[in-house]
Formats: sequence, structure tokens, C-alpha cells
Amino acid sequence: MPQTMDRTDARSTAALESPWVTLVWNDPVNLMSYVSYVFRSYFGYPPVESERLMLQVHLDGKAVVATGSREEMERHVEAMHDYGLWATLSKADA
Amino acid sequence: MRRFEGTSDGRVEAQLDPDEVTLLQSLAGQVAELVAGISTSSTSVDGSTNSDAAVARLLPDAYPDDAEASSEFRRFTQSGLADRKVANAETVIRSLGRADITGSVALDEPETLSWLRCLTDIRLTIASRLGIETEDDEAGRTIDPLMRELYDWLGFVQNSLIEAVDDRSTDG
Repeated sequence: MPQTMDRTDARSTAALESPWVTLVWNDPVNLMSYVSYVFRSYFGYPPVESERLMLQVHLDGKAVVATGSREEMERHVEAMHDYGLWATLSKADA
Repeated sequence: MRRFEGTSDGRVEAQLDPDEVTLLQSLAGQVAELVAGISTSSTSVDGSTNSDAAVARLLPDAYPDDAEASSEFRRFTQSGLADRKVANAETVIRSLGRADITGSVALDEPETLSWLRCLTDIRLTIASRLGIETEDDEAGRTIDPLMRELYDWLGFVQNSLIEAVDDRSTDG
């Protein structure tokens, strides 16, 4: 279906241009309510998406919270460190 | 302490006992002292990982598998991050200084953000000093009951602040 093809193309183009991700890692200190609050207030994710990402961090040990250029991801990681969240950046395919 | 609640003028307000005010001011001051040295320390200049475990958690490596990139990142960001953490602690200390005779402290939005971040820094530092590194550690380890109580109380204060902020944004 053409619609599906379009979406796939858009995604792979974005991946080529934006090969970096911001990861947030689980830690035993930060409250689940706080992590979810940070995702909402800093990234502007809707409450449901923030909750989903927070649970992914909690249950899987980490979650990709943003994708984009290296410079953008460095800004996000610095912002997460401002909040006291344990964040790193990596190449998206790593 | 009575938990944080929204006020009619859009702030959040809690009531604290005088000893709770003193305790929070002291803890915020200690975290400020811990990070204040960083912006001028050698790790800012050479970018090496901070040797103090609590500081290493407050300012973690940005690149998990690339020491050189982590050190470059640290050279560019560390003193700014440390300065902002100190400023957050100073905001907490200053706003607590406004506590009235009933122990009531009201926070505006920028102050609330400083409180949330500073409470996180305090809890991360205490957890690091207590050796809480995994969730299993937290459950299994024998931790000094007083420190345990303090750590849990700080979690209560922070959670109550988040709930008050959430209520405010839902109402608004």
C-alpha cells in the first residue's frame, strides 16, 4: 500500500539524517512520578507516552527518549543531567 | 510536614516544622558545597570521570562506551551543570528562609523546578553514600534506620511536590 511505503521511506530518511539517540537508564533512586514528570515537562510528551517511556526505563532498564542529530542529543543529555536523570547518547544503530 | 498543595494564585504550598526547614537547608547546602568545587576542579579542565561516587552520579558519563567523547562532553557542560545545581540549592535555601510563623512555604514555578531538581540531587547523593546502587540493594541492605527514614521522607516531599504540580497543570 502506498501509504505504508511513504511512512517507511520517511522513517528511513530520518534515520539516515538522525543517527543518534538519547537513552535514559533506570536507577533505584528517582521516583517513577518524577521520571514521568520530566518526560512530560521537558520533551512535551503526552501523559500516556511519558508513562509508557517511564515504565520502559523501569522495566527494561533503559529507553530511547529522543532521536536526532548528535548536537541535539547532547543538549537533551545535558538537560537530563540537570534533572538528575541518568542519560547517555549513542549512535542509533549501536 | 503537611504535603504540598496548590494555592489559588497558582503556586504550591507546604507547611514544615522548623527542624524540617533547618534540615532541608542543611542538606541543600551540603549538595551545593559538593558540586561547587567541580566547576573549578581539575576534572573540568581535563574532563576525566569524577572520582567521588556521588559527583560521578550527579554528572555521569554522556557516552557509555567512549571515554574520550565523555571527557569532551564534560569539558563543555560540567561547570554549567554544577553552577545550575548550586543555584537550585541556593533557591531552596532562600525560599525556606521565607517560611512564616506557621512554617508555610509557597513556591512559584521556577522555584518549584529548582526544588524538584535539588531534592533529586540530595537523594542521589544520599543513595550514593548509603551504597544504594540497584533496586535489590535497596531492598536487601541493612541501612542505618535514621538515614533510611530521612531518605524516604525526602522521597515523600518530592512526590508530594510532583503531585501538587500535576494537579495544578490539570486544573489550569
